[in-house]
Amino acid sequence: MRVRSFLLLLLPGLLFGQNLQEFEKKVTSFTLANGLTFLIIERHDAPVVSFHTYVNAGAVNDPTGHTGLAHMFEHMAFKGTPTIGSKNWPAEKEALDAIERVYDRLDAERNKTFRADPKKIAALENELKAAIEKADSYVESNEYDRIVESNGGVGLNAGTAEDQTTYFYSFPSNRTELWFLLESERFLRPVFREFYKERDVVREERRMRIESSPQGQLIEALSSTAFAAHPYKNTAAGWASDIEHLRATDAEAFYKRYYGPSNLTIGIAGDVNPAQAKRLAEKYFGRIPARPLPPVVTTVEPPQSGEKRVAVASPAQPFLVVAYKRPDQYSKDNAALDVLEQILSGGRTSIIYREMVRDKKIALGAASYATYPGGKYPSLFLFFVVPNTGHTVEENEESVYEIIDRVKKDKPDPVALQRVKTNLRAALIQKLDSNSGLAAELAAYQAGYGDWRKLFTELDEYNQVTAEDVQRVAQKYLLENTRTVAYTYVPKGDVK
Amino acid sequence: MKRLVSAMFFVALAAGQTAPTIPTYKTLKYPPLSQVKIPEPAEFTLSNGMRVLLLEDHELPLVRGMAMIRTGNVFDPPDKRGLSQVMADVMRAGGTKSKTGDQIDEELENIAGSVESGMDETSASVSFSGLKETADQVLAVFKDVLTNPEFRQDKLDLSLTQYRSAIARRNDDAGDIPGRELARILYGPETPYGWQPEYEDLARIHREDLIAFYQRFYFPKNIMLALYGDFITADMHDKLERLFADWKVEKPPAPPIPAVTAKPAPGIYFAPKDDVTQTFFSIGHLGGTLRDPDYPALQVAANILGEGFSSRLISQIRTKLGYAYSVGASWAAGYDHPGMFRIGGSTKSMTTVETVEAIRTELDKLRTTEVTEKELNEAKQAVLNSFVFFFDSPAKTLNRVMRYEYYGYPKDFLFQYQKAIASVTRADVLRVAKENIHPDELSVVMVGNPKELGKPLTALGKVSELDLTIPEPKQELAKADPASLARGKQMLQRAQQAMGGADKLAAVKDMTHTLELALEPAAGGFKVQQVSMYLAPNQVRQEQTLPFGKVIVYSDGKSGWLSTPQGVQAMPAEVLKQTQGVIFRQHSALMLSDRDPARTVNAVAENAVEVSDANGMSVRIEFDPATGLPTREIYTEPGQSGAPAQTTDIFSDWREIAGIKLPFKAIQLENGMKMLEMSVSEYKINTGLVAAELSKRP
Repeated sequence: MRVRSFLLLLLPGLLFGQNLQEFEKKVTSFTLANGLTFLIIERHDAPVVSFHTYVNAGAVNDPTGHTGLAHMFEHMAFKGTPTIGSKNWPAEKEALDAIERVYDRLDAERNKTFRADPKKIAALENELKAAIEKADSYVESNEYDRIVESNGGVGLNAGTAEDQTTYFYSFPSNRTELWFLLESERFLRPVFREFYKERDVVREERRMRIESSPQGQLIEALSSTAFAAHPYKNTAAGWASDIEHLRATDAEAFYKRYYGPSNLTIGIAGDVNPAQAKRLAEKYFGRIPARPLPPVVTTVEPPQSGEKRVAVASPAQPFLVVAYKRPDQYSKDNAALDVLEQILSGGRTSIIYREMVRDKKIALGAASYATYPGGKYPSLFLFFVVPNTGHTVEENEESVYEIIDRVKKDKPDPVALQRVKTNLRAALIQKLDSNSGLAAELAAYQAGYGDWRKLFTELDEYNQVTAEDVQRVAQKYLLENTRTVAYTYVPKGDVK
Repeated sequence: MKRLVSAMFFVALAAGQTAPTIPTYKTLKYPPLSQVKIPEPAEFTLSNGMRVLLLEDHELPLVRGMAMIRTGNVFDPPDKRGLSQVMADVMRAGGTKSKTGDQIDEELENIAGSVESGMDETSASVSFSGLKETADQVLAVFKDVLTNPEFRQDKLDLSLTQYRSAIARRNDDAGDIPGRELARILYGPETPYGWQPEYEDLARIHREDLIAFYQRFYFPKNIMLALYGDFITADMHDKLERLFADWKVEKPPAPPIPAVTAKPAPGIYFAPKDDVTQTFFSIGHLGGTLRDPDYPALQVAANILGEGFSSRLISQIRTKLGYAYSVGASWAAGYDHPGMFRIGGSTKSMTTVETVEAIRTELDKLRTTEVTEKELNEAKQAVLNSFVFFFDSPAKTLNRVMRYEYYGYPKDFLFQYQKAIASVTRADVLRVAKENIHPDELSVVMVGNPKELGKPLTALGKVSELDLTIPEPKQELAKADPASLARGKQMLQRAQQAMGGADKLAAVKDMTHTLELALEPAAGGFKVQQVSMYLAPNQVRQEQTLPFGKVIVYSDGKSGWLSTPQGVQAMPAEVLKQTQGVIFRQHSALMLSDRDPARTVNAVAENAVEVSDANGMSVRIEFDPATGLPTREIYTEPGQSGAPAQTTDIFSDWREIAGIKLPFKAIQLENGMKMLEMSVSEYKINTGLVAAELSKRP
């Protein structure tokens, strides 16, 4: 039986060599003179196209005291340009500048701290409010979104993560030029209108995702505990008080530094003619002046000298996270760590599912994630556990350690290892099934690794991972002294 | 056609390049959209009556498909809410006649295939996915799961454990609560559209219920099967014909779905939750179906009000007021029963009232003033221009064709809809908003932090507090009739025979057994040495050696005492309850329950009886159909936390002592989770125990 399944398993591998060659034929890539790279894959089955803009900047680039800024700019990228969203641009421009002048005076007064005059502050706050109202009177609200949606755009959204910010949607293919126009405009001439209202919205988003969610609170506590120095310690949501003090001028500075064309990669997938797309790219995106690459994050997380633990008081049923330090995604151990993740929790045959969910029934769900919260810098290999009612965090934590000890002691079963490789291949095939997925993957691999082909060649790396490699990376990285344990508990005493 | 259009596209742009000016979005011209190729699935009926739709798609080496079964969770029995969902889970997890679920997991994951079973409100599905090379193997498993599920008990236990945890967790995320509670209020919490499973339902779900549900609905003529992917239609047709040739089960057609009987219960409901900084809300009333002639105009109205980033709700509440990150509205029409008109979102606690008021203002505006021409056009254009996305993958087309056929919609329904959208006018939007949106019928459900609220909620109207308390399981007996009582007696008598005969059991005056209990970590994680003494008819003494000392309990079934290293005390209520259960379930007496006039023995399944008495004691006993011996006893008693819990004793290792067969091993589960393992080292029968000895205090 086992021998037979091995033979079967070799087939999808053969298939893949062909797939990469087939795909290479369909993929066109080019870089404009200003450094902006495009990847285009033709799929003509239906007259639709998906677009995905990958910006090589995220929450790791938030300046100190301004966490949440990358996310804030992402929201501003939907606010339009001088020609999109304004009833009277010259007047609006003047009104927007006036807001900043009042805000400068307000900040100057506030900077006096205990010497500040509350009356002056109140007066300036009123003045600010009036200036904002005046600027708002020139705004054609949500015009950018309206153009996209009324032209049949679907899936319009954006996301800010630690390592990157992405913008994406799909159009009927006859609207391709409209996408080139709208996307180039927003990164050529963004207008920071309605900034202070949007800041409230971003603050609400934090309340929803982090403050009012037991899991959100736990993940934030995990990041801020596991990292002492590296910006991975801050989530993309940012800290509440930082968000509340963000200024339009901060967002503008962030944009100027991080949104240069050489820091952008764009993926396009669907019913598109590459030669035509290239002409449109030059016409629209060629207008964006070249800018130097932004500075990289130089803070290196210092070695962790012992286990860290953090408890989050929550009346909810408990959650548990056990996280270990791991190297960045460029490490030669990256593929083995991905395979280890799958051996541990990929599917119903995985060790964690079988042991913690199926047999011991101590967990409602449990999974491992090889790379969190980002991959471009050294990060975390984590276990996320949802205990079953009647079962404790301690019991589940113990069970995670037993599993880890076993993975270190015994090499994975060859059948299990082969199964993981087969499923990683199949997962790739499934990814190739949608325009939006393809556009996103091509852009992310190109920007993350310098070559979109890594999407395919990564499978060869997975294939070369041996049972010894899996055991070795478990022994090397799943160490007590680099561990952070975060969990929720029901408080017994008074809490606020 | 397509090539031609592309060529025109080129010409237009080449012209643009000679004058390299950048157009604005207002001046940009679009070429016509290329003709959409809508694939036609092949449709036929297998000789066993199963409908099949096939759609070739050779882009990727995959074969995928789904069987749609005419049933749904609206067919859950009212005392077993959640049954169909548990059935769907265990149908896959519990394996088939020839393979366990674990073997299926392994077989499928080895070849990167999947087979999954799911349950919706008014339909069920079994789906599969596989690589082309191994598609036959995946199809074989798919067919096996669909036609031969075994519903093994261990996976039923696992599923019930998971659902218990889900119930325990259902109020943890505030964002999940308002939508769920709104549906309960609108459809009525006692109707299949509004109810939710509780612990007591799960306690009543047994393997035979799963089998009965499956057998009622899963038969060829009640199933539509749709496949798409890298295959040749004619080959696949033959393959399916052969594969399902031996499945010829016939049943009466599935009954129609229950009608929605809810009456509007408008009101303002608030559930307090201290651990959040936002108020999550869901506001709505019942809506209509897709058949409603006004459905297209209502879609346009809902789009203008609250769909997408350019809607009125987003513009007002998010963009202008900054009160919410998430806010939106939808006219969610049902295929076969009225859906809901619903507005949802969240705002910081302080601006709860202002946000709801702003929503009410927008609703009034929509009902009293025509939308602008610009709004109407943009909303219509959004639908019409994005229409092509209905056809951008074969899976979508196949799914739609199947759904229309399942719910009895015309094949061209989507195109009728497209036409209707195009003809919607401003007057239509106003009329349908007036006729279908009723502010005085809205229910407003909010979950938030009462300590942080700004304006009092009473500014919105009279507020009722929503009680989210999760009810603890109640114990209820199954229905009995003369036939079920007779069968119950029969089963019990067969068990008496299996254990050595009724006379041998009746001769037991006392019994002493020595055992070891190995407790799971959740129950303490240590071992207990125990000596249990029983003196008929109703006295017990248990002496336990625990890591922290010795514990002795004694009871005569009415009261008792408890001795610990801290001293002797009267038996606490929970312990007395447990001890009464031990007396009630003492092996010899329990098996002779048919001789005890105070007890009722009722058959509740093919191989299970329920024994109960007037004092409210009851136990379900399941028998091994082969040997007749009891394999499990299921009952409710105070669990680890002191709260009532469903407890299951699973017996094994039967050996004969003085002519009576007794179990030497047992496992105890609490709410489906293993708590302890018991191993008996010795049973002694009729050694002449006396009452004074049992009740003697240390």
